[in-house]
Amino acid sequence: MNPQAIAYFAAGIGAGLTIIGGAAGIGRLAAAAMEGIARQPNAAGDIRGAMIVVAGMIEGAIFFSLIVTMLLAFK
Amino acid sequence: MGPISILLAAVEGAGAAPAGAGHEGPAEILMHHVLDQRLGHFYVGPFDLAPTKHLLFFVAAALLLLVVIRMALRGYQQGVPRGLAAAVEGLVLFVRDEIAVKNIGHDGHKYTPLLLSFFFFILAAAFLGLVPFSATATGNVSVTLGLAVVSFIAMQYAGISTNGLLHHFTGMIPPGLPWFLIPIMIPVELLGMFSKPFALTIRLFANMLAGHMVIGALLMLVPLTAAISTLLGISMIPVSLGLALFVMVLEILVAFIQAFIFTLLSAIFIGMFAHPSH
Repeated sequence: MNPQAIAYFAAGIGAGLTIIGGAAGIGRLAAAAMEGIARQPNAAGDIRGAMIVVAGMIEGAIFFSLIVTMLLAFK
Repeated sequence: MGPISILLAAVEGAGAAPAGAGHEGPAEILMHHVLDQRLGHFYVGPFDLAPTKHLLFFVAAALLLLVVIRMALRGYQQGVPRGLAAAVEGLVLFVRDEIAVKNIGHDGHKYTPLLLSFFFFILAAAFLGLVPFSATATGNVSVTLGLAVVSFIAMQYAGISTNGLLHHFTGMIPPGLPWFLIPIMIPVELLGMFSKPFALTIRLFANMLAGHMVIGALLMLVPLTAAISTLLGISMIPVSLGLALFVMVLEILVAFIQAFIFTLLSAIFIGMFAHPSH
């Protein structure tokens, strides 16, 4: 098989796997944040701030592996 | 990176060749728009010192910030800020109180100017990148690497100036460890010290790059579907433009969030080194 074809294939699979882990993690984070806000609405501001920060960090990890995937696809 | 410039390039590219093949397929146009482009040549020895597009917008973001903040400073009437000054002051107080003092402690105000520079520069670079025919300076890994190196220097300065050179490194090892774990902790902590700025670099770079690639890909839907049938392509235009505009609005939010996260994480790391209290 053409090595470039394998590289594209791998990049596609990599991107898919990345988004599974990332979206699952952020989904769990959002669920916990919603529950926390529901239990104590006057802590909503703090919880929202913490949620955005952690979501940013999880997204950072997602983008690490996305960079690896893009390197596979474009090199 | 705007809808108009991409659509213009796509129309002339797709008219010359079918999608994917030929000299300017949609993928090439997309990469053309997010990657750096050198403007002219100016060779000094083996180095080409001509400015590139990202460098130009890097300088433009810095100049824009200088001009806007100067304009904001003039809005102080009898000690009460009005208009632009109030908006800038709101953000400045937010960075100082919520980010600097909360994470670095009582001497947070020493690092506030640096954190403010990070925050406003990343914000300005991202906003400039949303204008048509422009480029996002922070979408270049060299720029974000430079910001992360400055953050790294700030972390080292914080640790060494507060704790002294020896304690800066010995304070990284948590107290109360069994003695046989210490040889393992040394490389782990050193690796952690270098991985923090690296994470900052990649996070900011990839966020900015990915946002613009999504916008470009959505706009590339038009020539791609136009290669199948012209009517389908024309009917894709409002859909594609609408989605791209929505993603650009989302990019504004992402700009704020990424600036905030870069600043917050820098402050947290500076605080960790200035006051190691594991």
